[in-house]
Amino acid sequence: MLEELSLHILDIGMNSLAAGAKNLEVVVIENTSRDWFIIRIRDDGQGMDATTLSQVLGRNVTSKKGRKKPIGLGLAFLRQTSETCGGSFHVRSVPGRGTTVTASMRLSHIDRPPLGDLNATILALCAHPGVDVQLHYRSNGQTFHFSSKEGKSHELGRTQEAQGKGTTASRAA
Amino acid sequence: MNLDELKKLKEKAQRRVALREGNKKYRVVFSMGTSGIAAGAREVMATLLDELDKRGIENVEVAVTGEIGLVDAEPVIRIEEKSGENVTYANVNPEGARKIVAEHLQKGKVVDGLAVGKIKEPEQKH
Repeated sequence: MLEELSLHILDIGMNSLAAGAKNLEVVVIENTSRDWFIIRIRDDGQGMDATTLSQVLGRNVTSKKGRKKPIGLGLAFLRQTSETCGGSFHVRSVPGRGTTVTASMRLSHIDRPPLGDLNATILALCAHPGVDVQLHYRSNGQTFHFSSKEGKSHELGRTQEAQGKGTTASRAA
Repeated sequence: MNLDELKKLKEKAQRRVALREGNKKYRVVFSMGTSGIAAGAREVMATLLDELDKRGIENVEVAVTGEIGLVDAEPVIRIEEKSGENVTYANVNPEGARKIVAEHLQKGKVVDGLAVGKIKEPEQKH
């Protein structure tokens, strides 16, 4: 098992890179009032067909069959973590279009691993050339965006979105 | 997650992207599959990047790859030299990463205790 949620993000993100993604979007949402923690990793890689997807989601997948296919223990690990922590896990994939992995969990769940070093995760993913890695982070009204392509990031901070308390919360959920 | 921490990401990423340009003497490849990550490859990478920055070494390109099949020896990193010489380091911890930067990437000396394989392209094909 992985000790930090950011390590899970790196793991799933590496699958996206292996799938030939050119755009990789990581969304992390923390919402205290609704007690949710949500991670979404979306890529425009080669995607998976229904058979592969069912294999990936099965609990008995132990190893990769081919280097190009994003199959491994990584998804099973994240699934286990989110289900243990009172959340749900979902993978949507379209061959040739890409894959979206969404994992949710209870923010306050005692077994929820800490987010950990998200910077190190994003930096590691950025080491793969030719991919735009984006991070969208939202925590109780504060937002942070980063894109490796633009080579810049900006903090939206407590903007009008956050001033209307609850607006962000409902969007985040 | 602290927002101030996240802001540092910008700076670090910019520097990395800028350093990607041009031909580098060394290419450091991290095995960043599930087993590598579980064994601590990300921390090793963060330490190595930090050490490169500290020493101002710019002649190094850093890359990641998926599982390479050395699951029990993770974290594994491979250093590819322009000349065709490859060195693989296994069971690298952050301390080992600093050593690799100081010895191998700065002075060109292989760190013996950590290296598991050294492959030189055969000069003659017989």
